Amino acid sequence: MFTLLQIAARNLARNRKRTLLLGGAIAIVTVLLVLLTALFNGTQASMLRNATTLSTGHVNVAGFYKITSGTAAPVVTNYKKLREIVEKETPGLQSVVVRGRGFGKLVSDVSSQMAVVSGIDIEQEANFKNILEIVHGDVTKLSEPHAILIFEQTAERLELKIGDNVTLSSQTFRGAANSIDCKVVAIAKPLGMFSSFFSYVPMTTLRELYGFDPATAGGIQLYLKDWEQAEAVAARLRVELVKSGYRVMDHTEKPYWQKFDIVKREDWTGQKIDVTTWMDEDPFMRWTLVGFRAIIVIVFMVLLAIIIIGVMNTLWMAIRERTREVGALRAIGMQRHTVLAMFVTEGALLALISSTAGAILGVLAAYGLNAAHLKMIKGFQMVLMSETVTLLVNVPTVLLSLVVIAGVTTLGSILPAWRAARLQPVEAMHSSN
Amino acid sequence: MATTPSSQPIVHLSNVDKDYKLGAVTVTALRQVSLEIAPGEFTVIAGPSGSGKTTLLNLIGCVDVATRGQVIVAGQDTGKLAEGDLTRLRLNALGFIFQSFNLVGVLDAFQNVEFPLLLQKKMNAAQRKERVMDLLNRVGIAEYAHHRPGELSGGQRQRVAIARALVTLPRIVLADEPTANLDSVTGNQILDLMQELNREGTTFLFSTHDPKVVSRAGRVVRLVDGRIVAEETAEQYQTRQA
Repeated sequence: MFTLLQIAARNLARNRKRTLLLGGAIAIVTVLLVLLTALFNGTQASMLRNATTLSTGHVNVAGFYKITSGTAAPVVTNYKKLREIVEKETPGLQSVVVRGRGFGKLVSDVSSQMAVVSGIDIEQEANFKNILEIVHGDVTKLSEPHAILIFEQTAERLELKIGDNVTLSSQTFRGAANSIDCKVVAIAKPLGMFSSFFSYVPMTTLRELYGFDPATAGGIQLYLKDWEQAEAVAARLRVELVKSGYRVMDHTEKPYWQKFDIVKREDWTGQKIDVTTWMDEDPFMRWTLVGFRAIIVIVFMVLLAIIIIGVMNTLWMAIRERTREVGALRAIGMQRHTVLAMFVTEGALLALISSTAGAILGVLAAYGLNAAHLKMIKGFQMVLMSETVTLLVNVPTVLLSLVVIAGVTTLGSILPAWRAARLQPVEAMHSSN
Repeated sequence: MATTPSSQPIVHLSNVDKDYKLGAVTVTALRQVSLEIAPGEFTVIAGPSGSGKTTLLNLIGCVDVATRGQVIVAGQDTGKLAEGDLTRLRLNALGFIFQSFNLVGVLDAFQNVEFPLLLQKKMNAAQRKERVMDLLNRVGIAEYAHHRPGELSGGQRQRVAIARALVTLPRIVLADEPTANLDSVTGNQILDLMQELNREGTTFLFSTHDPKVVSRAGRVVRLVDGRIVAEETAEQYQTRQA
């Protein structure tokens, strides 16, 4: 094996130009893959951090209360008892936040718009203050009754500034219309597509709007140590809550504000609990990530196809040039599988060295791009919920990229190597190449 | 010149034909060839270009198989052997010396000679080293053991090829025009070396049309148009040629 490795290494060194050209191409593909996956990981982490702070937990235990079959309020009654059960039954729980949920109309002197209204207790939400970039006002004033935080798009549309009043109107628990006047205390920079119709008020204000008592909340947002366990935890909670006597809604991949009409049409009254994950509550983020991943896969496939063709072509050339050598080696007693191994080793060695170099360069480039704090163009900022390009280098992903590129490239060398192994020694020995 | 052949032949060909398909046309390269090579022989297959010398050598070398007839090498009927068994037979019973040396360009002389032993997987590194160095000494190029073929002259390369052919202690060494790419002085030195090895017991079978090589043969098998037309001594051959 060592001799085969030596033959492979020396043949690669002998054909320096060809090796550098193909090795460079493999390295560039690896760099691109490492950068793309780092960009995906960075975007995912950034979107997840932002979204799970603004509108959802990793897992959400919320639900609807129907006083009559035609109404639907996005609340859970006696949330403290529910929280106790949930905290007990959630493995890997990191933190819990209680939020209010609402959906109503924001009316200013000049215009109006529908808005998702979240009730928050700002003093218990450190992350919220860190994630949002406040362009006007003071986010801590959300602790004051009838305060409201809106995003820049809403402020522009409704022509609102700090200190202005905006009327928040909605339908109460019992189906009656209610409205309260809120004072704009903070205007935040947009954070993703949905921020244009998100707003935040103190929990007390939301309870007042809907006529809820203090034991009522919109939902319990759970933050896990490992967000990738969200689906499993949600599934487990659905089962455990049923065991604890709660009625649990069937799982639907939709945010709560898209479920009002469905719930209203259903023929039941009282409380039903809805357990969702961040992917259910922020479908836009899910679509973005799925789309992003699809783009990466397509780009990767195209690049891989180019590399495989390159490897096959290069090995064809190497085999053509060394046909007589193959014939001689077969004549002196080299078995077909050893010929195959000899050329595959050459392909594998080139792939391994090039993809390792590419992975190292890719990691360095990722750190370099992060250090450069490159600003994204506006459209991407909205979609990816981040102002700057953020790349997250994840060692297992880099290793996987390296292994995949090296592996696929090696696979690409099997066909020409197999053809070389099938050469008849007598024909190969007398080849004119 | 040649050692006395012993009774049991290493190579036995009986009524061998070899056809090649060239498109729709079938060309017969060998016709009804019967031949025996005994251990210790120094035999030359002589004949003009296109007479079938190389084809005959290929059949005996187990790199090709006969269309009809029987080829027995080292006691094995090559027509009945699978590809892997033929390869093993070549590795263990045969040595090859090619006209254009056919050394592995990226390996040095030592590694080229050692290569068949690595394929055999029968010896450890120390044993291989001893055998290889012994042979490199024997063919007079031990000092070039770590030179690659590109750094050696034609004669030195052919010496490496001879050492490689002998390293597995084959039953017979097949040499296809071994002096064709060498100048006459080097060619003679190579032939001297082969004769010396033959005197020590190695069986050689050459294909050539070089009179210098033929003159050294213990037996000359003369091929014309794929048929053996004569088996004679080198003196008889030369007399007739003259």
